[in-house]
Amino acid sequence: MSKASFERPIVIIGGGIHGIGTAFHLAHLGFTNVRVFDAGYFQGGASGRNGTLVRGGFGSYEWTRLFAHSNRRWIELSKLLGENVMYTRRNYLIVAQSEKTQKLIEPAVPMHRELGLRSEIIDTKELNRLAPCLDTKTVRMAVNLKDGGVAPHHAAMKGFLKAARRLGVAIEYGRAVTAIERSDTRITGVVAGGERIPADIVLLASGAQSVAVAKLANVTIDAFPQRIEAMALEPVRPILRPAIALPDRLCYLHQTARGEIVGGSEVPERPQDTLTTDLPVMALTAKIYAEMFPAFSQLRILRHWAGMLLATPDWGPLLGLHPDLENLWITTGWSYGIAGAAGTTELMALSIAEGESHDILRPFAVDRFRRGKPVAEGAIVLAPQEPVAA
Amino acid sequence: MRIFWNGAAAQAREGDTAAVALLRAGVRSIGTSRKRHRPLGYSGSFIQGVLAEVDGVPNVRLDQLPVRNGLRITAQNVWPGPRFDVLKAARLLPANRVRGGFEHPNWLPSGTRRFERWEAMLSFLAGEGRLSPAFPARTVVPGEKRRADVVIVGGGETGCLEAARLAAAGKSVILVSREGLASTVPERVTVLAPYEAFGVYRSGRLIGTAPLDPSAPAIVVETAELVLATSRRSCPPVVPGNDLPGVMDAPTALSLASRDVDLGRVVVVGTGRESDVAKALRNFGQGIVAIESIRALERIVGRGQVAAADIGQRIACDTVVHAGPWIGDPNLAFQAASEGRLRLAKGQLPPNVRVIGSAALPDEPAHVGSLADARHAAICPCMDVMGAEILDLMAAGMTHVEELKRQTSCGMGPCQGLPCWELMRALMLKASDGRHGNDRPSHRGPRRGLTVAQAAGLDGLVEPQQ
Repeated sequence: MSKASFERPIVIIGGGIHGIGTAFHLAHLGFTNVRVFDAGYFQGGASGRNGTLVRGGFGSYEWTRLFAHSNRRWIELSKLLGENVMYTRRNYLIVAQSEKTQKLIEPAVPMHRELGLRSEIIDTKELNRLAPCLDTKTVRMAVNLKDGGVAPHHAAMKGFLKAARRLGVAIEYGRAVTAIERSDTRITGVVAGGERIPADIVLLASGAQSVAVAKLANVTIDAFPQRIEAMALEPVRPILRPAIALPDRLCYLHQTARGEIVGGSEVPERPQDTLTTDLPVMALTAKIYAEMFPAFSQLRILRHWAGMLLATPDWGPLLGLHPDLENLWITTGWSYGIAGAAGTTELMALSIAEGESHDILRPFAVDRFRRGKPVAEGAIVLAPQEPVAA
Repeated sequence: MRIFWNGAAAQAREGDTAAVALLRAGVRSIGTSRKRHRPLGYSGSFIQGVLAEVDGVPNVRLDQLPVRNGLRITAQNVWPGPRFDVLKAARLLPANRVRGGFEHPNWLPSGTRRFERWEAMLSFLAGEGRLSPAFPARTVVPGEKRRADVVIVGGGETGCLEAARLAAAGKSVILVSREGLASTVPERVTVLAPYEAFGVYRSGRLIGTAPLDPSAPAIVVETAELVLATSRRSCPPVVPGNDLPGVMDAPTALSLASRDVDLGRVVVVGTGRESDVAKALRNFGQGIVAIESIRALERIVGRGQVAAADIGQRIACDTVVHAGPWIGDPNLAFQAASEGRLRLAKGQLPPNVRVIGSAALPDEPAHVGSLADARHAAICPCMDVMGAEILDLMAAGMTHVEELKRQTSCGMGPCQGLPCWELMRALMLKASDGRHGNDRPSHRGPRRGLTVAQAAGLDGLVEPQQ
């Protein structure tokens, strides 16, 4: 590419892990004019409120290809950034209690391996060994993703932030993009903090706010904001090493480096567009813990919080160019955003540099619903999507 | 009756809490901080100082635990055991070695086995008590749901009077109190005590309450109105030594004194009520060696426990009691009023929620010593956050309370921000001449208000929002 091409002004809207991660990779590729704007504070959005779990293996080929790549990048990320992102491999267990889940995850294991993941089917005896506090009475089998684990978001975000800034990326929090200027086919600039900033390329990485930000450019995104809640139990000495997903209970959890047990579940509610919490998720998560991890039942709940994600019709991320504008790139709609961050930020930067979506990202194209091509994925801890009006 | 502390027998009296009984037996430091394992005691301010393992259950609050004969209490966060604790060596670490981020140093990058071993060791050191993975027999305490016209939180004079007034006006009233009631209330008032209101949901129309006794049910109340009569508490000073065992708030000192616990030589400081508190302590037979305005307090001195207080001159003492500055507990009101998409922030209280009595008074500003001294003051003792860490981050440009919270873990221990965030804000305000620290990080329930078993018992009692 020409020198001029590397000097093109790039504006990224959203300073979460995908925004600053892609900014880092763009700078790493040689782009010299990358700016990130975020309306909130550092780690104020989903990148500071998530469950921090990372896994590569899912039920579908498309998801596994994307996330397996990212899992590998998580393992290498500290070396690449020169900042310790604190990723630990600790066995990620997808536990099947129903026949339906078993039928979904069992056949996925050969596909996981084909895509380079250390994935294996384990029985309840092995499960008892890896997670002695898990009551396996109702468990049929599990898949163990040996390279899966935990990326504490404070360390991961700090790592991307420092590394990106070191490469000259300008990242500003507390500075909202309030307008997007466009011609018929292209974005020409954005307005942030009252200042007009010319942009040759814009990346929309605004998480739950993405629909509202897209509206500034007069384009639509097929998704809606939704609250997800999680909670932390008081710290104890290490008792649970692996990360665990219970798809049949829509529940996930792990124990943090400082001893807290952090996890969450989901209840069938109308999508809530707020960071306030409600009782049902806390009660349900506690009930699942009491049944599946009876030893936790005497622990106290320290705190309970909500984060917002952007729910898409197939729960998959929206990645690539927006079909209605030739220089608006999208990385949003994440539900496993931390797991996907280490790899997708790199592929997104490559795609922007090349002017076309990387092969791994292509199934998640922004216009896939218009084309009637959603990506079916069942092995996720998210409630089946209800059709949502508005 | 007899209780056991780390295996050694101690005498206790009927009606003592375990924390009172330990102080009576001369045990001043009970808990330890998370990183440097410094000693912490019964202060009325920092919960970490009263957490211990009781009959095999970790993290039990000794100040809320009535004694019974044969009670076995063991210090936690120790290894191999409380009598010979190698982890105490962490006290030799300088405070600036364990600042936020120390756990992921660049010389030990993740992706290596070395880092995974380091991380596993840190989780061991930072963990608190041990939890047995063995399965207990009963894991869910079935909860209850009730309805009321009004829920009143706080069983002091104000809360009791308000309960009586509203009951007389024909309303159905539920009064929630952590302790016994300050005065009698009409029979029509339903009293939940000792219960804690752990959370306020749906703009104050859904209140979660749980008993201090973990075997009793949590109760969720649907209510038309919520009245917060949660009174005020004394905020510890931001001076060096503010977290030493022997520093305590006036209510804690008075309750210890009323149970004949000898506090030794006592210094009382405060914002106007110090003389009254000293007089009351003297009436209980305590030896008062100084009474001063808290503004005179420069530092508290001691190794492992209070030895002296600098109040213009150095006064040798065993206990420092603070009676003010008085601050309200912002948590429940914050939960009732909070909203947000980019940040959970306190808005206007909804019309169905009222704050009454002293809880409605403006907070008195926390006492911050000189900025040079404040560097050595504890801001969040459980997480070993000292003033220097906050001040240095501010000097480096980090001035958002939420970012400081995430960076330092300030307020993420058992107190969940009270009083730590108030200390952090006071320091920020002083260091920036009032520009930073005007708002608080978002307060979240249920801050240890209930166990998993109690919360599990609430499942199905409240419909998700449709």
